[in-house]
Amino acid sequence: MIKNFRTRLQPTPWLGWLAFLGIFLIAGVIGGVIVLWKGLSVTNLTDLVPWGLWITIDLSSIALAAGAFSLCAAVYLIGLKRYEPVARTATFVGLIGYSMAMLCLFMDIGRPFKFYQAFLYWNTHSLLWEVTMCVALYFTVLLLESMPIIANMDWLRTRFPNLTARMSRVHHYAPYLAIAGLVLSSLHQSSLGAAYGVLKARPFWYKPEMSVLFMLSAIVGGISMTLFASMLASQLTNKAKVRDELIEKLSLFVGWALVAYFYWRFWDTLSMTYTYEPGRTEGLQLLTKGPLAFNFWFGEILIGILLPMILLLNSKTRENRFWRMSALLMVVGGLVAYRWNINLAGALVVLSYLPGQPTVTYASYAPSLIEWLVGLGVIAFGLLVFSLGVRYLRVVDHFFVEEEHGTVDIKATQPVGI
Amino acid sequence: MSTKIKRRDFLKIAGAGVVGLAGLQLMRPDAHASGGVEAGEHQWAMVIDQSKCTGCGQCTLSCRAHNDVPPDISWNEVLPAGEVEGHQVFLARPCMHCENAPCVEVCMVGASYYRPDGIVMMDYDKCIGCRYCEVACPYQARSFNWQKFEGDNPAVPEWGQPEVDRRPRGVPEKCSFCYHRIDRGLEHGLTPGVDPAATPACTVTCPTGARIFGDLNDPESEVSKIIHSQHTVRLRDELGTAPRVYYVLATPEDFKEAEA
Repeated sequence: MIKNFRTRLQPTPWLGWLAFLGIFLIAGVIGGVIVLWKGLSVTNLTDLVPWGLWITIDLSSIALAAGAFSLCAAVYLIGLKRYEPVARTATFVGLIGYSMAMLCLFMDIGRPFKFYQAFLYWNTHSLLWEVTMCVALYFTVLLLESMPIIANMDWLRTRFPNLTARMSRVHHYAPYLAIAGLVLSSLHQSSLGAAYGVLKARPFWYKPEMSVLFMLSAIVGGISMTLFASMLASQLTNKAKVRDELIEKLSLFVGWALVAYFYWRFWDTLSMTYTYEPGRTEGLQLLTKGPLAFNFWFGEILIGILLPMILLLNSKTRENRFWRMSALLMVVGGLVAYRWNINLAGALVVLSYLPGQPTVTYASYAPSLIEWLVGLGVIAFGLLVFSLGVRYLRVVDHFFVEEEHGTVDIKATQPVGI
Repeated sequence: MSTKIKRRDFLKIAGAGVVGLAGLQLMRPDAHASGGVEAGEHQWAMVIDQSKCTGCGQCTLSCRAHNDVPPDISWNEVLPAGEVEGHQVFLARPCMHCENAPCVEVCMVGASYYRPDGIVMMDYDKCIGCRYCEVACPYQARSFNWQKFEGDNPAVPEWGQPEVDRRPRGVPEKCSFCYHRIDRGLEHGLTPGVDPAATPACTVTCPTGARIFGDLNDPESEVSKIIHSQHTVRLRDELGTAPRVYYVLATPEDFKEAEA
């Protein structure tokens, strides 16, 4: 009996990975309990910089989940059917991303156990109201979209065959869910940027491009996240099977999307260099030559945009799995760097309100140990769910054929004209 | 003509409909002048005369006592604001009670709201603590309760007795123009700005009379008279927030007269 037990617990890379994630998860849970118990005083957040590491994780995981809506729209609305298996992975990655965001937000708000009040009391004029509603509704959409994936679990299948059959049938509604996903995501992915963009008090943020930049970077980063996760999984385990030509084609799209993103980013940044505007000029200087300069030039521009753009548009490097994976990972890193930088560049610059021309002072912020523990715990949670999905739900399996979703034949007896 | 529509058209119509609805809600054409809240009989405002302010900070302390504010938070900050004719001048900063308050516009649960009398209020029960208002406020008038305020308030009883409940952990708090004193005073037939019991604690405490409180709707009130007769400024007026706190700035003449 004991001998049997010992052989069953033989160290495998899988168990090692679980143990590794487990350490971060436990540390995260401990950190979370301390936050709930002691309140946000255990963070290094201040009245001047009230949003920090957790907001970055929150915004990044929502952005990196954007592969779900963009690929589902591509497959079910535009009709690029062959990418369906990739969209399936993206949906699951999306579900994880939004779960992470909600977990992190739960820690970040001052009264976590009153979070439901966001649904009870509405200020429809607030962008965060819109984001809250969209995130809640889209999470529901993602749950529905993930039903057929979860139905793949052997354990469920053998015990509740009727239930899993029902869950699989949700796939018939994939096009409708894709519409809902597209609408809801277009709204809140851009509104998260606009949430910063409408704040007149912070000139570095106050501009309409914020929503466009958030949307574009989310599409680029979200698809890259899904592709990178798929490729990495297929490298590490034979449970994950990818069709390289699908990933390669989508990577080419990411390359071109990076060009579009770079175009917006370039003009956005360049326009800020003209004339002195209190607060905005200082915010930009924090990025170009201040404490955020390394994150900006290296993290956002070089690693986040330029290098992967070249690697993905050049067919030689794109076809090489190593370079393609590296490029996709760089895009993901660049997106996180962008969310971190944009939040801090606006928050660290403090404008005086004394009469006369506003003068500028600088706040400072570095996350506390507890913030790191909770943040890393949330990331470990995401990695754990993805790993379990790959192993038990065939989340990354490009040879997996979904049951055909219902096609409704709508024929106009006459062409619909004007 | 067929009544059936193609999927494409359906998508277009459905998409446009949903986006349109959301857009209408967000834009809200009446989103100016106190968010469409019907203006009441009174419009409270404050004038702070910088030439009289000595920077003693008694307003901050009495505010802390009357509103039970923790010692690490000031609803009413008094800041050094440069020199005029070699004299240090100060600037006291309560909440500006803006007519177009950024905090009210961004609050997702509507915890920050306009009262008909112009006071920007916080409903601490509704607040979930997202701190968006804090980021949006151009005057740093809001302070977050990072921890629970426990134990005695060091400003009590020397500077007054608490008149409102302590705020819970995890919500931002700010000056309320001592709305409780105004409301109770009006009930007893007193005039806020004239009768001390109906006037904000900071204004009553100020030893030099640098603060004047009153009703903008009443042309005979002290604030109305000053605003109409003297040159006043509002902080960061260029933002269009339309604060209800007006400042009479110190001029070199103020100090020449004092010395003479």
